[in-house]
Amino acid sequence: MDKKMMTIDLNSHVLLDKAEKDGVETMYDRKQGFKSQCGFGLQGNCCRICGMGPCRITPKTPRGICGADEHVIVGRNFARMVAGGTAAHSDHARDIAHTMALSSRDGNYKIRDEEKLIILAKEWDVETEGRDIYDIAHEVADVALMEFGKPHGVARFLKNAPEPRQKIWKDLGIEPRAIDREIATIMHSTHIGCTGDIDSLIHMSLRTALADGWVGSMIGTRFSDILFGTPTVRETEANLGVLEDNKVNIILHGHEPSLSEMIVLASEDPELVALAKEMGADGINLAGMCCTGNEVTMRHGVKTAGDFHQQELAIVTGAVEAMIVDVQCIFPALAKVADCYHTKFITTSPKAKIAGSTYMEFSEETAYADGYKIVKEAVLNFKNRDKEKVLIPELKSKATVGYSADAILGQLDRVVNSHIDPAGTLKPLADCLKSGVLRGAVGVVGCNNAKGVSNLAHVTIMKELIKNDILVVTTGCGASAAAKFGLMTKEARKLAGKGLATVCDLVDIPPVLHLGSCVDCSRILDVVGGTAKLLDMDMSDLPVAGVAPEWMSEKAVAIGSYVVASGIDTYLGVMPPVTGSSRAVEILCGELQDMVGAKFTVNENPQELAQIIIQDIEKKRVHFENLVEERMNEKVEAGAEA
Amino acid sequence: MNLYNIIFTGSEQALAAAKGMLAEAIEKNGRDHKVAFPDTAYSLPCIYAATGQKMNTLGDLEGALTVVESLINRTHLLEHALNSGLATALAAEVIEAIKYATMEEPYQAPCAGHVSDPIIRSLGVPLVTGDIPGVAVVLGECPDAETAAKVIKDYQSKGLLTFLVGKVIDQAIEAGVKMSVELRVIPLGYDVTSVIHVVSVAIRAALIFGGLTPGDLSGLLEYTSKRVPAFVNAFGPLSELVVSAGAGAIALGFPVITDQTVLEVPMNLLTQKDYDKVVATSLEARNIKIKITEIPIPVAFAAAFEGERIRKAD
Repeated sequence: MDKKMMTIDLNSHVLLDKAEKDGVETMYDRKQGFKSQCGFGLQGNCCRICGMGPCRITPKTPRGICGADEHVIVGRNFARMVAGGTAAHSDHARDIAHTMALSSRDGNYKIRDEEKLIILAKEWDVETEGRDIYDIAHEVADVALMEFGKPHGVARFLKNAPEPRQKIWKDLGIEPRAIDREIATIMHSTHIGCTGDIDSLIHMSLRTALADGWVGSMIGTRFSDILFGTPTVRETEANLGVLEDNKVNIILHGHEPSLSEMIVLASEDPELVALAKEMGADGINLAGMCCTGNEVTMRHGVKTAGDFHQQELAIVTGAVEAMIVDVQCIFPALAKVADCYHTKFITTSPKAKIAGSTYMEFSEETAYADGYKIVKEAVLNFKNRDKEKVLIPELKSKATVGYSADAILGQLDRVVNSHIDPAGTLKPLADCLKSGVLRGAVGVVGCNNAKGVSNLAHVTIMKELIKNDILVVTTGCGASAAAKFGLMTKEARKLAGKGLATVCDLVDIPPVLHLGSCVDCSRILDVVGGTAKLLDMDMSDLPVAGVAPEWMSEKAVAIGSYVVASGIDTYLGVMPPVTGSSRAVEILCGELQDMVGAKFTVNENPQELAQIIIQDIEKKRVHFENLVEERMNEKVEAGAEA
Repeated sequence: MNLYNIIFTGSEQALAAAKGMLAEAIEKNGRDHKVAFPDTAYSLPCIYAATGQKMNTLGDLEGALTVVESLINRTHLLEHALNSGLATALAAEVIEAIKYATMEEPYQAPCAGHVSDPIIRSLGVPLVTGDIPGVAVVLGECPDAETAAKVIKDYQSKGLLTFLVGKVIDQAIEAGVKMSVELRVIPLGYDVTSVIHVVSVAIRAALIFGGLTPGDLSGLLEYTSKRVPAFVNAFGPLSELVVSAGAGAIALGFPVITDQTVLEVPMNLLTQKDYDKVVATSLEARNIKIKITEIPIPVAFAAAFEGERIRKAD
């Protein structure tokens, strides 16, 4: 196979060769095995939601057996993707909320960011005066848990959005009520013989997606910050070169920080470090992968081993004692790959058992003890490492990470003139956008997709954007790509246009900011929403965009949908399975604009997609600058009257 | 209008004005008519430093304007906005050079116009030692003479070197501010373009003290932004030309603080409507820190008063 057509990551090239030599099958082999994928599935007009099917739409069979046409089938499939994504993020959040309910002063989980908890408690009308912080935490956790299934009202976080945005949601009737209810409603409505109208299916999808972004993911992020600390700026390294020759290498893969935080603690346990030395290793080397990697790198600077597409290759190095996983985006194939080496593939969550893995259940109630046991298993495995089979590729890049919304505010304070403005606001960012020094800001998020060359679209688009004075914020495997390719170093400023480079210099940030894991896309909503409120505008008025260049998961579909529903134009580098319905394309790539002030744009050529985004941002600036001028005139008039 | 368009428009105005004046001057005096500022070894310092070319005749200036034109690119990126600001500065220098080439006495007291090399050399040492902690360029018109005097005297008492451009000169005189090189308050001229004579000071400082190679534009900009602690206070309504010149200042690393509502750029273009805070805001923006030993005496005390002459009448 031509490796250049597989991935642009040079470490991956080295390991693909090794995999071939070792006779290990990887994702790239399986991709080739599929040759051409089924056109019906690709277009979304294959339906198998009932026992009469599967049905597929062709010119000769324009309707399924029940009479559903291509629009209904595509709409149902799309809605179920959104529901799947929302369910994943929200179940993640539910676990974190449960963890907070378990928190105690002398337990495994403590409250680390009391200030953030108090702010949230006040937002949610939980009494804080004179109360023990843990009593507050438990009550807040209970309130959060009700957000999943409360019988009445709409989601609490919605009121944090700019007012015009709240009105749009209300008027359209897409205010999410309770998370699980929205997911269940989609599963209900997409059952055979229920909703037969694509407009309604997409409408429902938007409401469910909002239950992800503005409820599930937002709870996940806020609660993780409260429990594990709000990320602050720190240095780290990324790519498979972070694995070490003579240490016990443990890779944390998955999503939920409740597990990874305990593994971080356990890996620092003196007893286990001593045990590692007893085994002949120099110590324990922890590295992250995917979003759990992002969580621990944001909070502890734990190195990032790699992204979604490198999970098998990490084991192929032969240097990984244990791959510890919880939920989401974990290849079941890892069991097979691990079989070829000494690596222990340890699954921990009852929600994601994988045949062929070593299952060591992790429970929040016995968190540290479980974490200790799991790490010990990894350490004991060091003696089984076959030195002959080890190949750690040498490349790794430095990265500066940890840009939570709070950390960004902290950086912005560096450029506030104390005689003009108060500290702690987004005004410097708003000023840079208004004056045009920054042309815009774009969130580059999402996965890796075997349909394209791994990392190519992420890196191409980020480089193009920063060259054109557009600030890039990133999460998930987009962030891993940026970190691996050196875009998160302060030196990367030289790849940026003069405007962005100047801002980076003054604010002391890299041109691409790591905001965290996929649930942390909610941080992007916070920053964009906050900026819009500061400017007295809606989110759809700002020169901002979201792009998922290499998306693959249903979570990405939910994220893209809630970003659009929040008024932020969203660009996809991979076509979703909707082209089977002209009506679906019409709505998603057109009519949504009139409904929510933003829409989807798809282009599978990253170079072209980057140019489209840049042009669209410039177009949007015209509208934005007019509004800015309007607001300034209003202010001047108000000043004159006073 | 958006900030970048204002800058580009101002640059185009400056270019058009320079072109018009040059064509007229050439028609009257011919291409070979000599061009020079008095008492300088650096020809037209800004153009010389930026391009490495010395301008000797009106004919040469046509070439200089081609450079100016090439710096104006209306693409909305900071790089082009800053270049456009530099274009305005260079166009202003061409205009001022034509004044010197064609007029008997382009500047009369109180205005200084072009600042000679010897004066710059004399200011060089105190600038390097920090005895002059900063250079303030006060431009435009304050709401009243009192406010103008308050700001200027504040800079003066802190030992800064202050250049005045525009109506603020009359306001300073009206309020009884004493002015001279020794007193570190130098009125340059009433036209906006006369601000180039202070830019020329900063640039010659880079050539003289920084040992910069003429033509090394990026080196020049780095030197001025790192080593010349200058900033601009722009008071009163801002024309496109002034904003464009301000972009030139920002390109050199000099922040602009104004009393007008503008699209602010953190650390670079700031609005301060409270005149009592203008000085503190400006010093912070340029990161100028002043060692102060307050002596409780009833008159202002500072190095800036060292050269003051007490006349009989006083």
